[in-house]
Amino acid sequence: MSGTGRYRYLFSPLRLGPLTLRNRIVFSAHLTNYAEDGLPSEQHAAYYAARAAGGAGMIITEEHSTHPTDWPYEKLIHGFNPEVIPGYRRITEAVHAHGVPILAQINHNGGQASGMYSRLPVWAPSPVADPLFREVPKAVEEHEIREIIAGYAKVAGHCMAGGFDGVELQCSHSSIVRGFLSPATNKRTDRWGGSLENRARLLLEIVAAVREVIGPGKVLGVRLCGDELIEGGTTIDEAVAVARMVEASGKVDYINTSIGVATSTLYMIEASMRIPPGYAMFIPSAIRAAVKLPVVGVGRFKDPLQADRALQQGQADLIGVVRGQIADPDFVAKARAGHADRIRTCLSCNQECVGRMGLNRWLGCIENPRTGREAVPLPEPRRRGRRVLVVGGGPGGLQAAVTAAERGHHVTLYERAPTLGGQVAVAASVPSRAEFLDLTRNLAARARHLGVDVRTGVAADVAMLRAENPDAVILATGARPARPWWAGDLDRVVDVRDVLEGRARPSGQVVVVDELGFHQATSVAELLADRGCDVEIVTPGMVVGQDLGITLDLETWNVKAHERGIRQSTDLVPMGAAATGDGRVTLTLQHHPTGTERTRTADWVVCAVHQRPEDELWHALRGAPFPVHRVGDCLAPRRAHAAVVEGHRVAVAL
Amino acid sequence: MTEESPRLTDPIGLAGRTAPSRVIFGPHVTNLGRRRALTDRHVAYYRRRAAGGAGVIVVETASVTPDDHPYERAPLAADCGPGWAAIAEACRPYGTVVLAGLGHTGSQGSSAYSQSVLWAPSPVADAVSREMPAEMEQEQIDAVVAGFADGARRAVAAGLDGVELDAGAFSLLRQFHSGLTNLRGDAYGKDRLKFTREVIAAVREAIGPERVLALRLSCDELAPWAGVTPEQAAAQVDALAGSIDLLTVVRGGPFATSAYRPDGHTPPNFNLDLCHAMRKAAAGRVPVALQGSVVDLDAAQAALDAGAADLVEMTRAQIAEPRLVALARAGLADRARPCVLCNQTCLVRDNRNPIVTCIGDPGSGHETEDAYLDPLPGEAPAVAASPAGDREVLVVGAGPAGLECARVLATLGRKVRVVEARERAGGALRLAATGGPFRERLARLADWLEAECRRLGVRIDTGVAATPADLDGEVVLATGARPGPRPECPDGTVTVLGVRELCERGPAALPDGPVVLDDPIGGPIAVAAAEWLAAAGRRVALITPDGTAGNKLALTGDLADANARLQRAGVERVLRSRLREVGDGHVTVEHVWTGERRRLPCAVLVDCGYELPEETLYLARPGTPRAGDCVAPRTVLEAVLEGRRRAVELATGGAR
Repeated sequence: MSGTGRYRYLFSPLRLGPLTLRNRIVFSAHLTNYAEDGLPSEQHAAYYAARAAGGAGMIITEEHSTHPTDWPYEKLIHGFNPEVIPGYRRITEAVHAHGVPILAQINHNGGQASGMYSRLPVWAPSPVADPLFREVPKAVEEHEIREIIAGYAKVAGHCMAGGFDGVELQCSHSSIVRGFLSPATNKRTDRWGGSLENRARLLLEIVAAVREVIGPGKVLGVRLCGDELIEGGTTIDEAVAVARMVEASGKVDYINTSIGVATSTLYMIEASMRIPPGYAMFIPSAIRAAVKLPVVGVGRFKDPLQADRALQQGQADLIGVVRGQIADPDFVAKARAGHADRIRTCLSCNQECVGRMGLNRWLGCIENPRTGREAVPLPEPRRRGRRVLVVGGGPGGLQAAVTAAERGHHVTLYERAPTLGGQVAVAASVPSRAEFLDLTRNLAARARHLGVDVRTGVAADVAMLRAENPDAVILATGARPARPWWAGDLDRVVDVRDVLEGRARPSGQVVVVDELGFHQATSVAELLADRGCDVEIVTPGMVVGQDLGITLDLETWNVKAHERGIRQSTDLVPMGAAATGDGRVTLTLQHHPTGTERTRTADWVVCAVHQRPEDELWHALRGAPFPVHRVGDCLAPRRAHAAVVEGHRVAVAL
Repeated sequence: MTEESPRLTDPIGLAGRTAPSRVIFGPHVTNLGRRRALTDRHVAYYRRRAAGGAGVIVVETASVTPDDHPYERAPLAADCGPGWAAIAEACRPYGTVVLAGLGHTGSQGSSAYSQSVLWAPSPVADAVSREMPAEMEQEQIDAVVAGFADGARRAVAAGLDGVELDAGAFSLLRQFHSGLTNLRGDAYGKDRLKFTREVIAAVREAIGPERVLALRLSCDELAPWAGVTPEQAAAQVDALAGSIDLLTVVRGGPFATSAYRPDGHTPPNFNLDLCHAMRKAAAGRVPVALQGSVVDLDAAQAALDAGAADLVEMTRAQIAEPRLVALARAGLADRARPCVLCNQTCLVRDNRNPIVTCIGDPGSGHETEDAYLDPLPGEAPAVAASPAGDREVLVVGAGPAGLECARVLATLGRKVRVVEARERAGGALRLAATGGPFRERLARLADWLEAECRRLGVRIDTGVAATPADLDGEVVLATGARPGPRPECPDGTVTVLGVRELCERGPAALPDGPVVLDDPIGGPIAVAAAEWLAAAGRRVALITPDGTAGNKLALTGDLADANARLQRAGVERVLRSRLREVGDGHVTVEHVWTGERRRLPCAVLVDCGYELPEETLYLARPGTPRAGDCVAPRTVLEAVLEGRRRAVELATGGAR
């Protein structure tokens, strides 16, 4: 059955003010850090155009700042600067070429900012410091409120000159309008604070001013937060009441929704795989019940069926799919063509999208090496039809095989294990990390679709590779656990992989030693605690699971760890391990800030430590008559993204 | 010895060049670049230091190969030709010896921008990033050697006087020198200097004998179990002295990155003995420069007098005071703005790419955009002040904002009166300057502002509270902050006070019993207060919403050290917690994520939270120009910046 038949709701057109959308999937606003010098870049245009080409129903760009006092992160687009207009035109022309409408989101982040870049005081309704930026803002005066409203109108004008089909007002996440709406941040006693009517005054005045500028022929949307998830903040009842006011203004064409506040509850906005899909749909449902305007729902929509169901159930009129289309720009087109199984589904791992945003880096994707690089065309292959052998069926080898096959080469992939996936499959064996498996499952499906000759259960050796006389060999042989120096030969000191791959089954008291600061230790701790072990994680770092903060897993993992009684001990460096008489292990730890020594006696010690590259083939193939490349962990054991980008890069360069 | 030792302001010959003074402006991250090139902002930044008398400037270190991309705006030698040429031209009138910093950060780099593997002598993950590098093979080694040579060739072609090779705290060269990071079994492991010698030879070949080949060498990795020790370093210096023209002695390594240019918790001039030892090892074959929190002209001269060094690197001192050497030469050394070693805004290797600047001189790093920059001795400021009337400008408040405003107004020819309600000028800066030697250093900036105001004829009337009736004519308000909302103790069993009151009264004035500090900000003040109280023998707990105490110290390089100091001092860090209740001789805290509550015994609760603007006078005269905390309570940087801006606006007629 075709996609339009299977997804009846998804592919039914929708009238949105003056526009008719051909389907219900919105690529809604999100940061990209693609701006340069405060201006939209060529990369912006290429990025949005790829999603338009892939069939998105509507695109809403990242935010455009309405005022010089608003500069919370370096690569914000300065919409108030008229020099943005040529960049806007480049974006809208590129998107319109695919017949897809595009709106610009406009915003002032208010107090959710610092003066680091602007060198100006931060503006907000009241001098209430934001919990992330921790800078006391200046309470805006009446003339400054006028300036804010005028700024929105000015930027709306720039958007019209830039060819956008309309604008969306960001009034959630991180916004001065949110700041005014929320009782948590609006402590004013004048006509801009107090009652909901007063707190919503700024929003409604901006709506009026913007509509005045854009005229009746363009779309105006408002994005509202349904639950800020903060003390004294906006909750659903007020959000519904504000939605009613917005509708009553008669000037707005749709309402978009969100949950959480970007600077305190971001982990609920860009939820990782630890949070169930559809978690925020109570918000559009409640608003949709109260207003007639079309309502957009968002929140970890990974596949078209899930979106279709939400539409069918009347939870929303449109579905925002952001990470799903970051991972696969052709999300909609594949659904429409009835090939949803070919969609490179998002993992909600947050490693290279959300994680890079927080670090002021350009937006990427762990499984799509082209995300963030759309403006740089791939070179044409110098020659097609080369015979390429790939050794290793983890993410690096699979990506190399897929890219090589896409570029017209004949690829054979050897994997010595009976199944593909490499360490990704190991990592995903922990229940809370199961969706991570989509990384290699998607790649394996793509490899099969492209006709890669996949030979599992085959351990490639030098003789075999030489005998094949290939045009190129790509080694993606991965890594193996390395025993830490302090572990000696104690049987009960094992690696995380020993546990996850079933070679060891710790019980009783377990100490997990974490030198990596990522999912390895926290995952195995969670798994063992679920199996009934008494678990403590020790780390030389200052916090346990440091890099989970980047992927927004730290909050939810901590809640789980607390429930399971997992203890966390920091600043501890293992100095030795010894067997006790009863088969247990005593671990000696140095507390490095104080130089004092501590011990732990446990039934098992599980190590999350650096691995060693499996580079025997690399060394053995030195001097081979064909080029040999290595990608991923067999070059240096790192995270999955490194394997994917290297696999892709090497295959492109063949 | 004193009579024959050179003065800091004396010239010194380096290879075929002569540096006009012995003060070096060393290489540092500025984030002034665009992509990986140097910009006109760099040019203006270095020109200002050259004009101020720097003898040697080492331009921000450029990566010699594209795989090395340690921070987003890290210069790349291949992209630096035009920028180097512009800097050389801008500095030429002052005779400054300008060197290109050349480096490769190896395993201490970042794969985030390059999206490719890090290369290092051995597969040893960096202690900070925890990222595993790949072991360099001969191909990579040769490429880096060639990269150094290419970069050097490009630098001298651009008109620079030479290059400095980085073997310091963040460098691939040092990683080869160290047993911590070089575990190789080949010739580069058996002879750990081999790689550096190859680099030096290739660079010398590229630049010839008349240009300067300088080396920044970590002579102590502070990890004696396997790292470079001063003894090993002396042998390295002995081996390399004949092949280089300038040696800058530094310290630091993978476990001690913050030790390279620490904040004032480390006493200044900390490399003095190390440098002296290396100068002995060099035995006159190469001039040796002292680095390491040298911020005081007298201390720098003393190092020359003691024979510890031939030159002194005073980078932060010249970020704070670009005219440092010129003032010394004019006999006006006491007019130099002090560096207070706060590291708040000049240590900028941070993901956010902040621009290098100084809390005392916010024009640093902003030379191309800021209207006002302090004039050189005998010169007038570039700001065109409108004709001054006879009437004094009234500045209300003698904190950093008010004093800077008055100072700049006076420099621009205006008569100024400052009124201050307290008995002493300095405002919150003086309050913050309590609680130990590091904090007390902050007071030097207040002292300097006050002294400069007085020298320029500003009237400072302390103990005078302005009223709305006083606000006639030209007025700037710099009235500072007032306490924010405080937790209350309904049953009176816990004394609640603000951190300002603690600073005023000192630990001894507090009631007996355990002290709890509540710090929702994560700033330096609560950490300092906790250390102060613990040193006074109090039982102390510090509540923070974060996973570590003093989160904002990440920018100053003090975060890990601060948390270690707190733990050594016995301060209980109550992490990821917020204060919920006060009473019954306890406070109740709640975990920010799990909601779990616990009680801590507490006799005194010190609120280290946000303050509110003191705006009584402003509300009486809305629209009056104002600066600093009375707009919104922030840091000294914003106070000084806004004080300066208001002064320029008034003096140029930009405001009413």
